[in-house]
Amino acid sequence: MIQGLSRRDFLKLASLMSLGIAIPPSVQYLGIPGILQGKRQNVLIVVFDALSAYNISLYGYSRETTPNLTRLAKRATVYHNHFAGGSFTMPGTASLLTGTLPWTHRAINLNGKVKTSFSKKNIFSAFADYHRIAYSHNRLVDRLLKQFLEDINEYIPREKLYLFSDSLIRDLFSKDEDIATIAWTRIMKHEEDGYSYSLFISHLYEKYREYKVADFLEFFPYGLPEAYGGRNFTLEQAIDWTGNRLKNINHPFLGYFHFLPPHWPYKPHRDFARQLSNDSWKSLIKPDDLFTRGKTQGFLHKHRAFYDEFILNVDSEFGRLFNLLESSGILDNTWVVFTSDHGEMFERGIWAHITPTLYQPIIRVPLLIFEPGQQSGQSIYTATSAIDLMPTLLHVTGHDIPEWTEGSILPPYAPLISPYGKNGIYAVEAKYNDPATPLVRATAMLVEDNYKLIYYRGYEELDLNNERIQLFNIQTDPEELIDLSLSKKETASELLNEIKTRLKESDEPYL
Amino acid sequence: MATSNVHARFYSGQGLKSLFLMCALPLHIWTFVLAFRDFSWISDQTNSWGSIGVLSYGLVYALIESIALFIIIAILGFLVSKKWEENRRITLLSVLAIIISIWAMVSNLYFLMEISPPPQVINIFIGFTHPLRSIYAITISLLASTFLIPSFLILQLKKPYQFIKDGLDRLSLLMTLYLFFDFAALIVILIRNIRG
Repeated sequence: MIQGLSRRDFLKLASLMSLGIAIPPSVQYLGIPGILQGKRQNVLIVVFDALSAYNISLYGYSRETTPNLTRLAKRATVYHNHFAGGSFTMPGTASLLTGTLPWTHRAINLNGKVKTSFSKKNIFSAFADYHRIAYSHNRLVDRLLKQFLEDINEYIPREKLYLFSDSLIRDLFSKDEDIATIAWTRIMKHEEDGYSYSLFISHLYEKYREYKVADFLEFFPYGLPEAYGGRNFTLEQAIDWTGNRLKNINHPFLGYFHFLPPHWPYKPHRDFARQLSNDSWKSLIKPDDLFTRGKTQGFLHKHRAFYDEFILNVDSEFGRLFNLLESSGILDNTWVVFTSDHGEMFERGIWAHITPTLYQPIIRVPLLIFEPGQQSGQSIYTATSAIDLMPTLLHVTGHDIPEWTEGSILPPYAPLISPYGKNGIYAVEAKYNDPATPLVRATAMLVEDNYKLIYYRGYEELDLNNERIQLFNIQTDPEELIDLSLSKKETASELLNEIKTRLKESDEPYL
Repeated sequence: MATSNVHARFYSGQGLKSLFLMCALPLHIWTFVLAFRDFSWISDQTNSWGSIGVLSYGLVYALIESIALFIIIAILGFLVSKKWEENRRITLLSVLAIIISIWAMVSNLYFLMEISPPPQVINIFIGFTHPLRSIYAITISLLASTFLIPSFLILQLKKPYQFIKDGLDRLSLLMTLYLFFDFAALIVILIRNIRG
């Protein structure tokens, strides 16, 4: 019976349960007093950009990067095999916010958007009865939030938490903010490439900006953290602001806070800078990938250390936010989610996350869910996806799960029927495709049981077949060193067929 | 009234127009060069329409910066003795505006094309007792000579002056074309901000 249930059937069933057609046994199982007593519980999603599970000591990384997270995990549900929907901000975040995969929401380009129909299909619209607040340092996330603006009660402009902002540009060109901002950056800011369109006034502008942020410089030995275009911020200020705002917010609320660290440029606070860059830690050396960017081991090692130090900074600040929420009593009635939109990579000649590959460091991200009042920890090793977060949060707060979401309720919050182990977890990378056409140049990943298949198609680097397949057993070979696509042809073929079928289905509306 | 007299004495309308065009020319060329360098990167980030948008903002900004440079150069022009006829003064100021702009471009070459002084030159500076002071002194001498030599040629010699003036007149024509692009850029920005 359970074997025969499709993912969609399961969703419908779960939705019916939360509608209250029967007394929700899952709620009883969970012991969610808030719902039973009619008291709506808050939801707070905290996203740290480009935070790879691979580099988190809580998940087994041998460098101590997350002492606070390890401490807090004893009060959380920790997902050990959680996957982002895409390999960079736009698709990864859009999957998180819409509960759909990139081939569905189509925010696949660097500066993309979800397709028009998803403007009203997102986590904010699903929590329509909540006070919804959203913020991001990240320009791309901000672009998505603006698409969902009608469903957000309190949209915080990203300049709000910058040390020095060019809000004049945003105000003057509010209808063309993205391009006006890119243009302004190229016109005024030498920091981007060392040169700018403006030959004279840009120098005055730089001096003025340096003057405005001068007081913060001593705290950041590698330079101030910055968002695109040299917009400086500090995570410390952002966390303070968030903690204070949440103290006085209307309940119930849905909060989405997407902070840029530890995304490049890696610029930790002085308390964390140089903590790891001079240690004796050695990374596992892996052979260059077909899609190598030619980065040397020395380069990768150096940048990994800076990144790890930035994670130390993130870990500390999340710990501080958690304490702020706890001391103000918010935690007693709030589901807190700690996650990321995608990972980061320092191996195989590839640095960061702009790559066609979908190796674990790029696509496996942390997920911790803190239930209100939870005092003991538990670990989930089943593979899960970012698209599962939205239906899960809707379910545990007693909301309907919309039909359009492709995700499932995460274990252990759906104890009666679990689709896991049968349904695969997908991720998609297709940044160079036109979102309104079939995905001809793309990478897709499928994780099923312990196997992970990565399918590439349409890239110039590929051979005459124009395809590439990699198969890994991520349980026995978590470093993905042994490609099993030839030795386990049957498994590879089965997973490949599943991926191709899904790709074909997703392409159909665009043929 | 006094302002009007001063204005009439120093600049005619035609003279100011020529000066403005020469202030605008290098800034517009620079913007075009960089915008075309960026085109593919920006297309990756957005699309071709987005790239045209970035170029448009760049051009309109270049126009604004040109006006600022023009005002400064025109004010500096009052320092030039009135014993020289207006055309000669305008030619001198135009050349100065171009030279200043060229030096501003040169200062970007290290980042733009990774061009830096050869190691031998750097070693010579390192050998000095005060390398930084020496660099400043040599840079100022170099800058001064690039201003002084053209000034001398324009103000004292007839043939070089005529040659430079003819050249500037032709460049003015080119710059008029760029002004047309500025106008088109302004339209693009308006469309982008109306359509949203």
